[in-house]
Amino acid sequence: MKREKGYTKKNFLKGIIAENPLFVSILGTCPALATTKTIEAALGMGILFTIVLICSSVLVSLLRKVISEEIRTPAYIVIIATFVTIVKMLTNAFLPELFSTLGVFISLIVVNCIVLGRAEAYASKNNVFDSFIDALGMGLGYTLAILSMAVFREILGTGAISFGKIFYFIPYFKLQIIPKNYVLSIFQNPAGAFIVFGVILAVIAFFSNRKKEYQAYLARQEKIRKAEEAKKLAAQKAEGGNK
Amino acid sequence: MAKKHYIIVSVTLGAIAASAAALIGLTNFITRNRIEENKKIKIQEGIAEIFGKEASIKNEYSIEKNDYQYVNYVYEIQKDNTIGYAFKSEGSNMYGKISLIVGFDAANNFVSLNIVEDEQTYATALEDDYIAPVNGGSRDINDVNCGATFGAKLVRDMVNEAKKANEEKVWIK
Repeated sequence: MKREKGYTKKNFLKGIIAENPLFVSILGTCPALATTKTIEAALGMGILFTIVLICSSVLVSLLRKVISEEIRTPAYIVIIATFVTIVKMLTNAFLPELFSTLGVFISLIVVNCIVLGRAEAYASKNNVFDSFIDALGMGLGYTLAILSMAVFREILGTGAISFGKIFYFIPYFKLQIIPKNYVLSIFQNPAGAFIVFGVILAVIAFFSNRKKEYQAYLARQEKIRKAEEAKKLAAQKAEGGNK
Repeated sequence: MAKKHYIIVSVTLGAIAASAAALIGLTNFITRNRIEENKKIKIQEGIAEIFGKEASIKNEYSIEKNDYQYVNYVYEIQKDNTIGYAFKSEGSNMYGKISLIVGFDAANNFVSLNIVEDEQTYATALEDDYIAPVNGGSRDINDVNCGATFGAKLVRDMVNEAKKANEEKVWIK
């Protein structure tokens, strides 16, 4: 089958912008609300999530001709659960602070609809390379989405950005942006997570509606222009006929 | 035909499950010792937080699990002399596993508790709204209504059992 030119780039970018799993498809919201208190925790969650997504998508794609229709779902669940267990053990061993910060949310990647969704909708129908690119784009899109939530929550909730507590191999630094007296601690609570998520969704909806309206306006203008051209042509024809 | 199909399906699922088990087993083999070391470090940090940085473990005793549901280890803590006992307690409910260090001074008074492992879904609420106030003395251990009540009930039961074990001096038996 001949591939569309620029397909790989499009396949990669769709997960980041047009089909962003969190902000467009509204999937994986539970860990997005729970693990975005700090930028570091969100980054850790994003990395672990991306690793599981890539590994499971690649393996599902590799085995797509071997796994028959009836056992598709249980087989995918076993594959995803295996990678989540491995990632959990490795995190517990080598990044214990990240393990205790994310807690149960590492295990909950098993039931994250994005992972099973990509395996079912994409990896089971496409080759290994395309599945890898798709998973990388989706993972990166999800990571960027939860990072953007974490930036707002950490700055507004604590007044500072800090790094190096969880990823202990990075020297610790803290940058105070808002004076402590002006921080809104609600942004460190679940209610704050909902507010930030809601505001980001509203901003995205506003811009996507504006884009749709602009496209509709352009289409209307084009229609008017074509109608005027047709009118002119008809008038010219009529004029020619009268002569 | 149908029989052959069922055999293929069973073999495929079996092979996937076996490979998964092998991979998890291998990862467990690689990470097991490191995880145990991390747990030991966490316990030592927990003890230091309860009794102060100069405190060290003088003796440690494993408790037979027959009589106790949660408490499984006792540490005798010293500075110059014995200053108290720390109990390692592990439990779980439908929201996940929790592992604690509960400290008592030499006069059998509760000092504070420290989390070694927390897989509770409502970990933040449990730690911020229950454990921190209990440690700070502003909340009674039996006052469990905190937004993570089931987790708090589990912690309360674990602490109360540690209290009982401390009073009974189980490690001497």
